[in-house]
Amino acid sequence: MSLVLRIFLIVVSFISIIYVIRRIRKAKLRIDYSLFWIIVSVLIMLLAIFPGIAIKLATMMGVMSAVNLIYLVMIFILLLHNFSMTMKISSLDSKINNLTEEIAIREKMNTEKKEEEYDS
Amino acid sequence: MKEVLILIPAYNEEANIKKVVEKLINDYSEYDYMIVNDGSADSTLKICRDNGYNVIDFPINLGLECGVVAGMKYAYRRGYKYIIQFDADGQHLPEYIAPMYEKIEEGYDVVIGSRFVTKKKPFSARMIGSRLISGAIKLTAGKRIKDPTSGMRMYNRRCMEAFSKEINYGPEPDTISYLMKNGYKVEEVQAEMQERMAGSSYLTLTRSIAYMTKMLISILIIQNFRKKTN
Repeated sequence: MSLVLRIFLIVVSFISIIYVIRRIRKAKLRIDYSLFWIIVSVLIMLLAIFPGIAIKLATMMGVMSAVNLIYLVMIFILLLHNFSMTMKISSLDSKINNLTEEIAIREKMNTEKKEEEYDS
Repeated sequence: MKEVLILIPAYNEEANIKKVVEKLINDYSEYDYMIVNDGSADSTLKICRDNGYNVIDFPINLGLECGVVAGMKYAYRRGYKYIIQFDADGQHLPEYIAPMYEKIEEGYDVVIGSRFVTKKKPFSARMIGSRLISGAIKLTAGKRIKDPTSGMRMYNRRCMEAFSKEINYGPEPDTISYLMKNGYKVEEVQAEMQERMAGSSYLTLTRSIAYMTKMLISILIIQNFRKKTN
């Protein structure tokens, strides 16, 4: 890993940690959802500060360069995270649909009940 | 209360809704009807309220599937025996409800108002998709449905319960195929359909292709892995 790349990674991960924490302070982000970004940022920073970790892992796994291994692992982590987001959106989608249907049906049934009481 | 509930999902149908509903009220009082206003941006809701129509009103737009599911839930809780999905744009004709009712009384779970039981399906570009979906259903569920994309379908309480309680039950051919694979009895009855009275159709060429692709993938692959239902 070149020195430029290492400095770049450290700066970027530092900025993202600050950004995530500021979002939490402003009550714009729930802590549950911030954990992923904090952990990933800290991991990137560690790898940039101690490139030995990535180099050692790369040789162990037979990957040509440490940077390639980092790319590969990052893409994999992002894919997993993306899938968990899709799951979350799908579940939210179902919940919103259910809630809206419930509200509309209950409203209708309540007016029907009132009309029946009024008639009798 | 009547045995059959006519469910009319409506999204921006101010031009047609009055004509369709008045016809049902005046000439077909043997059925109850219920409009589901799916968060229309036009005056659909106002027309319904002003005329005192039965309407379930969604505060936001959710899409056709939810409109149908809401109707199913309502019909199930109110104790209706059958529910029929009926277009708000005037495409479906109420005189075909009676033969569909007779058929479902014979013990079917779903009866489809089909354009091609006694009439031949034309070899037009529009029907390519219909043929593909038909073929996919025949291949996976073992029975040919001649008009799988017809939106005029009558369901019994067994279906209402399934649609109400679980996700992934849309009013689409892939659900029909899934139900058939699970032993639900599906039959078709000849019904004429009209061109929509006013307004533009939702189905453009791009949307049609996207729809067909989704249906084929769903019927041929995904439905095989779904849990069995009873």
